[in-house]
Amino acid sequence: MTRVRIIPRLDIKGPNLIKGIHLEGLRVIGDPQVFSSRYYEGGADELLYVDVVASLYGRNSLHETIRQVADNVFVPMTVAGGIRSVDDVRQILRSGADKVAVNTAAVQRPELLREIAETFGSQCMVLSVEAKQVASGRWEAYTDNGRERSGREVVEWVKQATSLGIGEVLLTSVDREGTRKGFDIELVQAVETATNVPVIASGGMGTIEHLEEVVRVGKADAIAMADILHYDRMSLPDVRLAATAAGMDIRRA
Amino acid sequence: MIEKRDVIKQYNLPSEVGFCVRCTMSNQRPRITFDEEGVCSACRFADYKREVIDWTAREKELKDLCDRHRKDNGEYDVIVPCSGGKDGGFVAHQLKYHYGMNPLTVTWAPLKATEIGRRNLDNFIRLGGFDNVLGTPNGTVTRRLTQLATRHLGDPFQPFIYGQTNYPMHQAVQNDVQLIMYGENGEVEYGGDMKNANSPTRAIQDHDKHYFSGLPPEFWSEHGLSAADLHPFTAPSYDRIMSNRTEIHFMGYYKNWDPQENFYYCRDNYGFEPNTERSEGTYSKYASIDDKIDGYHYYLGYIKFGIGRTTSDTAHEIRDQKITREEGIALVRRYDGEFPQKYYHEFLEYCDISDEEFREIVDSWRSDHLWKQTGNGWELKKPVWHEAEG
Repeated sequence: MTRVRIIPRLDIKGPNLIKGIHLEGLRVIGDPQVFSSRYYEGGADELLYVDVVASLYGRNSLHETIRQVADNVFVPMTVAGGIRSVDDVRQILRSGADKVAVNTAAVQRPELLREIAETFGSQCMVLSVEAKQVASGRWEAYTDNGRERSGREVVEWVKQATSLGIGEVLLTSVDREGTRKGFDIELVQAVETATNVPVIASGGMGTIEHLEEVVRVGKADAIAMADILHYDRMSLPDVRLAATAAGMDIRRA
Repeated sequence: MIEKRDVIKQYNLPSEVGFCVRCTMSNQRPRITFDEEGVCSACRFADYKREVIDWTAREKELKDLCDRHRKDNGEYDVIVPCSGGKDGGFVAHQLKYHYGMNPLTVTWAPLKATEIGRRNLDNFIRLGGFDNVLGTPNGTVTRRLTQLATRHLGDPFQPFIYGQTNYPMHQAVQNDVQLIMYGENGEVEYGGDMKNANSPTRAIQDHDKHYFSGLPPEFWSEHGLSAADLHPFTAPSYDRIMSNRTEIHFMGYYKNWDPQENFYYCRDNYGFEPNTERSEGTYSKYASIDDKIDGYHYYLGYIKFGIGRTTSDTAHEIRDQKITREEGIALVRRYDGEFPQKYYHEFLEYCDISDEEFREIVDSWRSDHLWKQTGNGWELKKPVWHEAEG
């Protein structure tokens, strides 16, 4: 079994770490710096930052947050939200991010994915997909923090994006996000089958069994988790221990 | 052409539009007031909730109220009006499981129920553990009333509001229950007549004025509906309400009202589910999701007052410190006034009104002090984001 990465996901609005259910009912959780340090020290393989109001304002506002986090955190950081051009990517990478994830702007103009991949390398180009099930075995990609439909079918969209040179897919299930009911396994399977790049499964982690299932059955390469960690339902070291005990290949912190 | 309405006169609105400097609400909300600093009464009330109200004392008042009404003989001792949504769900669950009351939860049927609304009501009854009565009026009469209310009041939702307001009183009288507990007092929380800001109760005398736009159910007998048709929508006689010693209270008086926290509470306690997509005309997914018709109520409110769902939602989320004013304004700009397309054909069919007539009804409520016609169609003369852009 390949090694599985564990990635705390921090959704951010203004100065606050927030958390919702189905990306809605956003509760203020606390200071992103405090949570970043906690997760770094707890053995996170990477950290993921999502500016959830970026599309609303048409810009990413995480530069300062990332700059500060980068002083204390030494694992790869991915930033998502409001990234619309090669120049936006350059700026966020300069702030200390290692990768960017793009959703809305790519849905509007897929060529952007190629431009970013060619300029900075595929390894830093993550496609962010907010998937909502529309029928059995069929999902639609959403934008704007799960609020707007894009009209794109998820599997087709991932195939197209793969051909444009993306290096990774961040796959969020809008249906499962914040519910603690487990990952949308079929969705992860469908996307894994459609692309040869790694897939980060996001949305629904409530127990270690959920993690095990999405890795073993869904074949996810990495797991993003938020609710379980932010609310301290399980600590990151405990998640890592339990996953290792369940036979998964987790980096030893 | 339908004759233009005099919206200013009918709702007693200021002819000059102004916005609260703290939230996104305008002075066009009926009965709202602004102080000399340009802050609306709802924002002042939010300060008052945070800084002045002694919630420990209010908690004691609630316990005393429950002690006064609690029955230990198995009979119901409180009526909780509840659709299965997060607000009534919170009230019922708290009263039953934290205050030892025996609530009868009362639901007035939506005009056209949504699947998720029905599922939430089922889960509320089944997983939350509640007795519930569902009041469903004659569907033919309800459709006729919806048509009339759309034509004459510019509000398809009025028949629902009659039942929502009056049916719990029937249940109180019939079940010998003296206490009715609602969620928040909209007049106080969202800006309105502030005379009740320090009162836990609602005066039944205010019903016509605050909830029925001055037109009680009996009004529609002029349009060919019989007393029997209208009966389920009317209140019990005043004498019966009084001899029952009926008291209508608001939970928002006793507890710091926070709709978002109610959402989490109901999710955790009976599996309340938000929608997976936002409601048209706003950004939220968990409020008012049980009726396919209510989008037209909010839309017509937007036409009459320039205040759509997004304005209302952002205004209270700003007051509750969930979002900033900047975000609120951006959301209003993005979503307010979006036409509720999803159920439009069902709505027209339900009311038996043509698309053309509905558009005419809408335009008859567009007041010149709010609207101008441009190359892009109708636009608000003074939306909140103009002010923000200086």
